[in-house]
Amino acid sequence: MSVNKFEPHLLVLPEDDANRQLVNGFITSPNLNIRAIQVLPVAGGWEIAVRNFLNEEVQKLRTYNQRRFLLLIDFDGDSERRNEVSNQIPEDISERVFVLGVLTEPERLRVMLGMNYEKIGASLANECYRNERKFWAHELLAHNEAELVRLNESVRRFLFPKRGASP
Amino acid sequence: MIQRLYAHNYRCFENFELNLKSISSCLLIGKNGSGKSAVGDVLELFQKIGRGTNRVGELLTPTDFAWGNQTLPMRFELEALIEQRPFKYEIAFELPNGFRELRVFEEKLSVENTPIYTRDLAQVTVFRTNNNSEAKFLVDWHLVALPIISASSEKDPVQVFKSWLSMLTILSPIPNLISGDSTSETLHLTKDGANFSDWLEGLLGAFPAAYADLDNSLKQVLPDFKDFQRPSTGITSKKLVVQFVRERQSFRVDFEHLSSGEKCFFIWSAILAANKHLGGLFCFWDEADSHLSLSEIGHFISALRQSYQQEGQIILTTHSEEVVRKFSHENTFYLGRKSHLEPTIIRPLSEVYTGKNIVHDLLLDDIEL
Repeated sequence: MSVNKFEPHLLVLPEDDANRQLVNGFITSPNLNIRAIQVLPVAGGWEIAVRNFLNEEVQKLRTYNQRRFLLLIDFDGDSERRNEVSNQIPEDISERVFVLGVLTEPERLRVMLGMNYEKIGASLANECYRNERKFWAHELLAHNEAELVRLNESVRRFLFPKRGASP
Repeated sequence: MIQRLYAHNYRCFENFELNLKSISSCLLIGKNGSGKSAVGDVLELFQKIGRGTNRVGELLTPTDFAWGNQTLPMRFELEALIEQRPFKYEIAFELPNGFRELRVFEEKLSVENTPIYTRDLAQVTVFRTNNNSEAKFLVDWHLVALPIISASSEKDPVQVFKSWLSMLTILSPIPNLISGDSTSETLHLTKDGANFSDWLEGLLGAFPAAYADLDNSLKQVLPDFKDFQRPSTGITSKKLVVQFVRERQSFRVDFEHLSSGEKCFFIWSAILAANKHLGGLFCFWDEADSHLSLSEIGHFISALRQSYQQEGQIILTTHSEEVVRKFSHENTFYLGRKSHLEPTIIRPLSEVYTGKNIVHDLLLDDIEL
């Protein structure tokens, strides 16, 4: 069946096709509970992603209190973008909404690492499972650290039920 | 794992080559008639040879020549990594003037670039590397040699390759044909899935622990699924019965009365279990999303990809945008042809697609090869 709305689960809204492919790699990780994650169709830009989230998902997050929501956006070199997005998220659901992304754009990360998007996504998933930081510490991803810790605390229990190293 | 598949002068294929090195799961997309299912037909040809069909007339007909071009041979090649050793099997057919049935023109099996046997029309030469000798014999040119070449042991490359070919699983299930009755055990699932119950018996007979994996997968997609049983209905026959339970009330239903999508869940869960317990099962699944509700497709495909990421190899075809989204550019192959008079072209999206929304561009048929 699809994700169980009444059990803890995570919805992911990728901004674009590159982010979608990163998530594809993430969800093929053997340790991931794929029944607890649902990837939504790409939004087509970070501003559209935020707008769609505010228009269509906020109310449902209030209805389904086991739902978590991840906006996967490009930061395009703008280190203030997370705050800009976070400031628009209603306070009553803000602890279940997360914003992650590449500091510039995924294409730059792909070129720098010399790997395809899926392999990068799979590596990031493995590090989440093992609670490690190698790829996540990359200069284009390190800015996510505080948000990643917050996300891990919220989803790790059900997303990686067969846990790796303890945090 | 299949490394490379080649077909020439067969239906819509001319110098058609599918390279799958290091690809554990991939998706074939393209318009109707682009040749996606024909890839499965090529694989089925090899599977049939592996399962012992050697009469050429049972494998191909003169109508299989591309655009009726009977002046050139029809050629197939399969390269695969089996037990860490590269195998290559080549076979070509021709239809001389006055013939009604195709005949074998050339045939060759090699391992690590060393020929195991070669064949030129009726003449077969088997090479014995241990004593540097060769044996020659004649074979009816309407028979494929591979099924009739005897192997000296289970580890003989001929036997290893035949066994591997026979286990290729080509699927295009027709749920209405899947009854739930079994009369024997097999590890060879038919393309239409009609012998699913026999295959399930074979799988559980060989790997009893696979039941737990089936049970686990089915409970994810059918929350009220309790178990399935296979009571005897005769001396050698059994019937597949599925039990559902909710709030202490249970309900048993014959497998044949399940919906088409529910039958596909059983096939899916059995493929996942077979892949795990066989240590890797090759599977080609044509339009795997058929019969599934939209909310199921994503997890159905992701579970397959997750399983095959660890072992085995799977090729899927689809027209579903949800399936397209579950693959990425390096493992999605686009097939197309300009008209029915031109051959299929195949390219990975990573080589031909630079757009930003693949689903959108597929919808508008905006992908150029």
